[in-house]
Order: sequence, then structure tokens, then C-alpha cells
Amino acid sequence: MWQYPKTRKICLGGFRMSSILLSFALTFMAFTLVPCIYRLIKGPTLSDRVVALDAMAMVIVVILGVYSYVRDSVFFMDVALVLAIIAFVGTIAIAKYIDKGVVF
Amino acid sequence: MSLQFVIDILSDLILLIGLFFVFLGMVGLIRMPDVYNRLHTTTKIGTLGAFGVMISLFVRVGFEPIGIKALTLGLFLMLTAPIAAHMIGRAAFHHGSSYGIDNAVIDDYKEACERLK
Repeated sequence: MWQYPKTRKICLGGFRMSSILLSFALTFMAFTLVPCIYRLIKGPTLSDRVVALDAMAMVIVVILGVYSYVRDSVFFMDVALVLAIIAFVGTIAIAKYIDKGVVF
Repeated sequence: MSLQFVIDILSDLILLIGLFFVFLGMVGLIRMPDVYNRLHTTTKIGTLGAFGVMISLFVRVGFEPIGIKALTLGLFLMLTAPIAAHMIGRAAFHHGSSYGIDNAVIDDYKEACERLK
């Protein structure tokens, strides 16, 4: 089985449970992006697309968090924090644009 | 059975709970019929799913840079996801033509908006 480069997890009798679960988490959340793209393309109104984009940014933040632990590097967590802040500000800006027609 | 074993099992359980809520949010994003229902399900990704995964990382790592940043990120997502959902919902109510709100049984917010005018 393929091993991650730097892991610091314990071996449970030669069976890396956490490594399998983290691989499953990364694969699952990569497949989870597909419904977001579907709703982003097909959504009837603009609000649906904003909802899908918000969910997509949140899933990418979670992927970056897990990947930061897997690669044992702090910098991916910084990227995730900045992406979360930018996604929040962008969602607020688009919501105000839908509501009033102007952002500020 | 050492302490590290218990921490690993607990962290795996919380990670599975977070992944389960991400899955539920995605099923709702496909299957729900309306903007408001989709908003209702996708907010769970932010509050329960992402917060669960981040708490899982914090439990696993402890007070190290990755753990502290994961906790900060989880709290930030927990604070900002309902605010964003509230803003999108209000914008969709005022200026979005949607399927569910026209044949709703009860609509108190519309009456309140008309009373304010």
C-alpha cells in the first residue's frame, strides 16, 4: 500500500488505521466537489450558484486542513485560513450585490 | 491500551462524524428542491462538518502549530458560515424568484416587511 511521506502515527499491529482513514477522507472530499459543480452549472437562480460556491470553498478548506496534517506542514493550514476568510467576504459581497444592486 | 491509542480512536470517530455531515450536505445540495432548503443543508457543512474535521485534527495533534491553527479555522468557520447563510437567504428572499416561497403556507417575514413600509 502507498504510504505518505512523513507520518507520525502509531502502527496498530502493523495496520495503519489512521492513514487509511485519512486517504479515504481526502478521496471522499475530492468526489464531494462534483455535486457543487453540478449545482453551480445547473442552478436555476443566482442564489443557488452562490450557495454551491460557498459549499465548494468550505470543502476545499477542509481538504487543505486534512492535507496539512498528512504532509505535516503548517503552510497549508495558513492557505486554508486565508481561503476561508476570502470565501466569507466574497459570499457577503455577492449577497449584498443580489440584495441591493451595489456592493458597498 | 495507551493514551495515544485512545486519542487516535477518538480523533477517527470525530473525523467520521465530520465526513458524514459533509456527505449529508452534498446529498441535500443535489436533492433539495429550493434555495432555502439547499441553504439549510449546506450550512451544516460549515458548522458541523468542517468544525468536526478541524476538532479531529486538534485532538490528534494537540497544542502544536497545526492544532492551534485547525482550532482557529474551525471556530472561524463556525462563526461565519451562519452569517453568510443568513445574508444569502435574505438576498434570495428579496430579489430571487424561487419555487418554494410563492406557494408557502405561512410567510411571516413578508408580512413584517410590508408592515414596515
